[in-house]
Amino acid sequence: MTASAREADAALTDQLVATVWSGSRYFKLGFLLLGAGSLGFAALIAYTFEVGIGLWGNNIPVAWAFAIVNFVFWIGIGHAGTFISAILYLLEQRWRATVNRFSEAMTLFAVAQALLFPVLHLGRPWFAYWLLPYPARMHVWPQVKSPLPWDFAAIFTYGTVSLLFFYLGLLPDLASTRDRAPERWRRRIYGIFALGWRGSEDAWRHYRLAYLLLAGLATPLVISVHSIVSADFAVGLTPGWHSTIFPPFFVAGAIFSGFAMVLSLIIPARKVFRLENVITPRHVDACAKLLLVTGLCVAYGYAIEFFVAWYSGDEFEIEQFFVTRPTGPNSWAFYLMLCCNVVVPQLLWSRRLRTNLKLLWLLSLLINVGMWCERFVIVVLGLEREYLRADQAAYTPSWVDLGLLSGSVCFFLFLFLGFLRFLPIVALSEVKETRRHLARARAEGAAAGG
Amino acid sequence: MPALFPPWSNRALRGALVVAGILGVSAICFPMVYVRTPFVTHEHLAVDQPVAFDHRHHVLDEGISCLYCHADAERSAYAGLPSTDVCMGCHSQVWNQSPLLEPVRRSYFSDRAIAWNRVHSLAEFVYFDHSVHVARGVACAHCHGAVESMPRVEKTVPLDMGFCLDCHRNPRKELGFDAGRDLGAMRLEDARFPAHADHAVTGLTTCSTCHR
Amino acid sequence: MTELFELHLRRRDLGRLVAASVALSGLAACAERREKIYPYARRPPGVVPGVATHYATSVVRDGFAVGVLAESHEGRPTKIEGNPEHPASLGAAGVFEQASVLDLYDPARVGGARGPAGLTSREAIERDLAAACAKGPPPWFVLEPSSSPSLERVLAALRRRLPGARVSFHAPLANATRYAASELVYGRALEPQYHFEQASVVLALGADFLDGMPMSLRHARDFAGRREPGPAMSRVYAAETSLTPTGTLADHRLGVAPSELERVAAAVLAELATMSETRVSLPDGLQAALAPAAPLPEAHAAFVRSVVRALVGARGSALVVAGPETPKSVQVCALLANAALDAPGRALTFVRPVLLEPDGGAPLAELPDALRAGAVGALVFAGTNPIYSAPELELGALLGRAASTWCLAHVEHETARACGSVLAESHYLESWGDARAGDGTLSFVQPLIEPLKPSVSVLELLAGLASDFPASGHDIVRETEHERLALGLGKPKIADFEAAWEREIQRGFADRGAAPSLSPVLVAERAVPALASALAASHAGSRASGGQDLELHLARSPTLYDGRFSENAWLLELPHPLTKQSWGNAALVSPRTAGALGRRTGDVVELRAGPRRLEAPLVVLPGHADGAVTLELGFGHAISENLSNGVGVNALGLGVAPGAAAHVAVRATGTKAELALTEEHWTLADDEVVHELTLRDYTQNPPHFAQNLAAQPTLLEPFEYAGTQWAMTIDLSRCSGCNACVVACQAENNTPVVGKDLVRQSREMYWLRIDRYLAGSADEPRIVQQPMLCQHCEKAPCEYVCPVNATVHSPDGLNEMVYNRCIGTRFCSNNCPYKVRRFNWFDFSEARGATVLQRNPDVTVRERGVMEKCTYCVQRIRRAEIAARRERRGLRPGEVVTACQQTCPTGAIAFGSLDDESSEMLRRRREARTFAALADLGTRPRTRYLAKIRNAEHEEAGS
Repeated sequence: MTASAREADAALTDQLVATVWSGSRYFKLGFLLLGAGSLGFAALIAYTFEVGIGLWGNNIPVAWAFAIVNFVFWIGIGHAGTFISAILYLLEQRWRATVNRFSEAMTLFAVAQALLFPVLHLGRPWFAYWLLPYPARMHVWPQVKSPLPWDFAAIFTYGTVSLLFFYLGLLPDLASTRDRAPERWRRRIYGIFALGWRGSEDAWRHYRLAYLLLAGLATPLVISVHSIVSADFAVGLTPGWHSTIFPPFFVAGAIFSGFAMVLSLIIPARKVFRLENVITPRHVDACAKLLLVTGLCVAYGYAIEFFVAWYSGDEFEIEQFFVTRPTGPNSWAFYLMLCCNVVVPQLLWSRRLRTNLKLLWLLSLLINVGMWCERFVIVVLGLEREYLRADQAAYTPSWVDLGLLSGSVCFFLFLFLGFLRFLPIVALSEVKETRRHLARARAEGAAAGG
Repeated sequence: MPALFPPWSNRALRGALVVAGILGVSAICFPMVYVRTPFVTHEHLAVDQPVAFDHRHHVLDEGISCLYCHADAERSAYAGLPSTDVCMGCHSQVWNQSPLLEPVRRSYFSDRAIAWNRVHSLAEFVYFDHSVHVARGVACAHCHGAVESMPRVEKTVPLDMGFCLDCHRNPRKELGFDAGRDLGAMRLEDARFPAHADHAVTGLTTCSTCHR
Repeated sequence: MTELFELHLRRRDLGRLVAASVALSGLAACAERREKIYPYARRPPGVVPGVATHYATSVVRDGFAVGVLAESHEGRPTKIEGNPEHPASLGAAGVFEQASVLDLYDPARVGGARGPAGLTSREAIERDLAAACAKGPPPWFVLEPSSSPSLERVLAALRRRLPGARVSFHAPLANATRYAASELVYGRALEPQYHFEQASVVLALGADFLDGMPMSLRHARDFAGRREPGPAMSRVYAAETSLTPTGTLADHRLGVAPSELERVAAAVLAELATMSETRVSLPDGLQAALAPAAPLPEAHAAFVRSVVRALVGARGSALVVAGPETPKSVQVCALLANAALDAPGRALTFVRPVLLEPDGGAPLAELPDALRAGAVGALVFAGTNPIYSAPELELGALLGRAASTWCLAHVEHETARACGSVLAESHYLESWGDARAGDGTLSFVQPLIEPLKPSVSVLELLAGLASDFPASGHDIVRETEHERLALGLGKPKIADFEAAWEREIQRGFADRGAAPSLSPVLVAERAVPALASALAASHAGSRASGGQDLELHLARSPTLYDGRFSENAWLLELPHPLTKQSWGNAALVSPRTAGALGRRTGDVVELRAGPRRLEAPLVVLPGHADGAVTLELGFGHAISENLSNGVGVNALGLGVAPGAAAHVAVRATGTKAELALTEEHWTLADDEVVHELTLRDYTQNPPHFAQNLAAQPTLLEPFEYAGTQWAMTIDLSRCSGCNACVVACQAENNTPVVGKDLVRQSREMYWLRIDRYLAGSADEPRIVQQPMLCQHCEKAPCEYVCPVNATVHSPDGLNEMVYNRCIGTRFCSNNCPYKVRRFNWFDFSEARGATVLQRNPDVTVRERGVMEKCTYCVQRIRRAEIAARRERRGLRPGEVVTACQQTCPTGAIAFGSLDDESSEMLRRRREARTFAALADLGTRPRTRYLAKIRNAEHEEAGS
């Protein structure tokens, strides 16, 4: 490789690693605010543990509400990461290199939130470990006909694999960070995590193989996790839950929301860290296109749900979809969902909008809201009106519900801020590779021409 | 630039990994082992009582049957402890001056209960019924051990759900019927109510047999 | 538990019992502190710790006794059941009998004695009272109406000892009009006895004979016997203002305002007086007397025509029942109509009034003047609360005029607060007594436990004043009974009295204790003019009233009676049978009236009667009479530290006595009240859930609901159920929605009370609720009450979603809920189409004060965060099985009864095993009208319902 190329690489590395040292006071402020929010989150969790989930708005018949909605929402967010890192990797979508670190980090933190809520929503969370198969003195085992133990397993596996994937991808960059760290102590810390990476040729060979294998391992998970989550509802009798379309429908929704979250995070970051040269409009455009595609899948899901409800001729299904959702209590969520997940994404047909970052950012936020509402509609509206009309009740969240939701958002952003602050936010090695790849391609093109 | 890490750091790291692995495994295994130890089950823990009552003397020397004092075991869920007047039945005559029996006399004459210390305890959501077990031919010793040879009573079995289920899942074997023990009328499949015999067994492992 | 040990210190005797029960209820194993066991020091004879015992006693309300069996665990009364041998119970128990056991442990009970100078001893108070009665102007006693022979003796002696002493019997719902009416018609006061097993056509005039009368439990049982669909099925016409359980089961129902009721009654009688078959036995000149002031509206006239047609058609087995609260004229009409239909001697018999001084003794209305005149010495309230229940007398301000004021009270109530000295009244489970049932049967009140707090019964208090009686209630009652038997045998002394006494106490009521049935002769010449004047008066009254005013109808509360139970948490939370309102009452109006007022359920309205006014939330009640408003008694107490403080409004606050005709001006206040309604809206009957059809449709083309259960396609192997298989049937045409089963379930299964706020959040904990469905129109509704409890589905949707096996199926077909395995995912509740599962949102396990002592030791008290639901009373099933195995036999048919089944007055609930051919449950399950709720879901419920059959007239069949 030419000296110029090497220098260019070096320059790029400097630029990308620099984010780790460039802590402005805004960072400190952000940490402070989000940290406070996270503490509040912890406090509310403690409160709920102490007093009981009666603090929430749940009731009979609406026995599941915010906690489950948040859980499904976060686990959905968590899907983009692996999708980008694994599936796009296998599909050799090189543009992913610039965004995959973001999305993997995001995945990790989202899954962390997701793991929290199922435990918190239990009546007796201190017995959550009964969901695990272990030889108990009671001689009793979990019941595998229920989706919940599988849920537990799926999310846990997904979390673990995401972590490994994240860490493996991080190794070479940790090494670069180590080498560029100003102080010795930082070099030591990054050095430990870099596991003595020297970038030798066979290290790279092993590294690529491991990465490929992990990618292969992670790919089915993207599909499986949310399919299993969807089973929590699909196996139920409840009108609006009892549906075979749920697994693909949920996965599509998950990736949809995941990409929305990626955009809502990456657009500001790109601005703050001046990564315009790395994260080009082309990348954003690609994400936006995926957003449009998955958005259409979701819209199709909605349409089919309604069609099947009508086609089934089941009076309760019909009531759920054609009476409760449009007119029942909390029907606002239904309209918000339709507007954010079906109408808004249609704007993405236009290239001008796809590359107008401000607008795109706004739009991605809306889609996040819409996806949260989708889960709310499924869970809460499904339960508010069931079979026995004599025993129906509406649902209103308590302040603790709202607190936990905003708290988890704070915690998520807090973790993400930490990531932005202490780790290289773009996969250096891969970006450099991509550039070399492009350079080589250009060179070959020139040679052929000349 | 001096080396960032000393030469031994690789070995240190590998060592650390091994230790972490061991800790991880034991973090899972240790509790499972611990809850099965007497620290948790309170087995073999002789308990002091307000009255120095010695089963060895009453059962072995005097040959008094369990049911003389714990008569309710035959008709009630609770075997119960004998009321003070049962003690006084004999001890108003024999050893009626013994200082050891002072608490008993005090209880009897002041009409205040003796506060015994519980040895065999079950969780409050367990509805164990002595009478049916006795009627079914479960020997007292099966759960209480050889009380007749205990100076102070102690638990000899964990009395946890696993212990109960061992029997309820395979009563014939546990109670020694398969080994030829024959209690005549006390056999599990009692000819006098065939309609009930199989239910009697299948009913043994359904939750509401013990939890209501 | 600390609560128990406080008691332990406070009362040695109780302490013994409690300590034993604590030890025996097997508390959680705790590692550090050794748990203590307290065996009896001296075991009471017959007590086997862990084995419940039952004693016969009686619940007495307004002087009428109902025989019950009280269950006792190591000396703690925990549950009330009906006494199967007692004629007023026949094994059934109503809401108030069931709930009465909780009052025993009420933390709000008066503790000990309080004199003007502060806390003192019971003995001191009794001494001072005796002194106070002796000196100064004569004393005045205000007692609850009573039928107790012992009290009769005591009062006689008391009057001898204190000449000039006046005794009033006061209770807001006690009412002497039926005696006055019989005075007019038969020349003597009579207690009518209705025999519904004899009646094939019944007209109920403002009479809730299934729930609101002294013998209602018996009525319900007799009535249900005639409701099997078929030629023998009786037909009921009901004309009532509000909607009652009787109206719910009536085949034809007419909502009439109180004044209209009178005119309908008169019109029925007038029709009968014109007809040849019936004229004969009626006095002449009746038509003239009955000529209606104004013609009836067509709807009413049509009702009257069809009623009369049916009554006359069934002459000899027809019966007209007038409610005890209805005005005298209505009751006179009823008596005459019955005479015309020669009901007397058949479906209607008479006994002499069972109450002492049926007219109520010294009129309480004279008390204020006497007080103003300073003519009252010691003023003693015993078991009554007139400051609350008779506010029009303004007693609160006048009590100071009495030389001294005394109150014997169960809980701190308004009158107790106002009196100088207060003494704790014993609960009936703590004291001896006797009383007569509605049919005169002499019944005994037997205590199960020594008084939890130093207290005395009315009988003992007055006996102490009369002072030539033994001190203990037991001896007084025993003496009375000895005298009675001796009198009966015409001997001064009975040799074998002890044996007789033992037997009577064991059984709960006396040998030869029933009152003789009388056959009085009609004396018409007094009845006719009296009737005429009564009618004229009321017509005048109704004309006088303003146009837009509403007629006021005060009714007994189906949950709080007249307010005496206002501290009973079970009853406070119990949803109203029709409005489903919990924790409060409301002004009930018909949809049309509400429309005229332009108001909806929840709007607060102001009711004004003369100078008095009160504000109450409006609740729209389909089927309620137009132009009238119903207020139910018992609410609106104002003792700040009491549970009932500020719950609902005191209907008596308007100063109108129940049954008296009055009008109120209704004005909207613009504010809204937050009601705790367990059912928000009136749900239309839905074929998936309930079925309701007329007798003709049913007999001509019987439905086969079972078909949609027969062949349900399934991928799974059909499971073979063998041996004992528990199942339940509930007959909707017997269910009046009276709520007895709901309270029975609560008492049996330690179901917590959650309070108004949580009820409003739809978090009530009832394992058994009653869903109310509306068929027909909102103006002429046909109510279907459906008890809804765990259906114990064979293919239970809740089971396969539980991740930890906390809800599983038992080999004998129960859907089991294992609290101690539950981690509270609530997935089971989401997946239960019947929504019968309840969740412990908070820790409901700690009880108010001593109420822990009421808990059933055979049922786990659930902790925070676990699901719970109906278990088919599995504790009873297993107890029976254990007994059977101990005795080496199979289960006997009918050996297991669930709590709801046992208490149901109409016997709507049947329970048993599918392999027991002899069981009533199986017989009903095989009827053509048996169906499963939401059968199409394929859950295969073990609980089946029998469609509600209405014996409607044919031309109206379709309606």
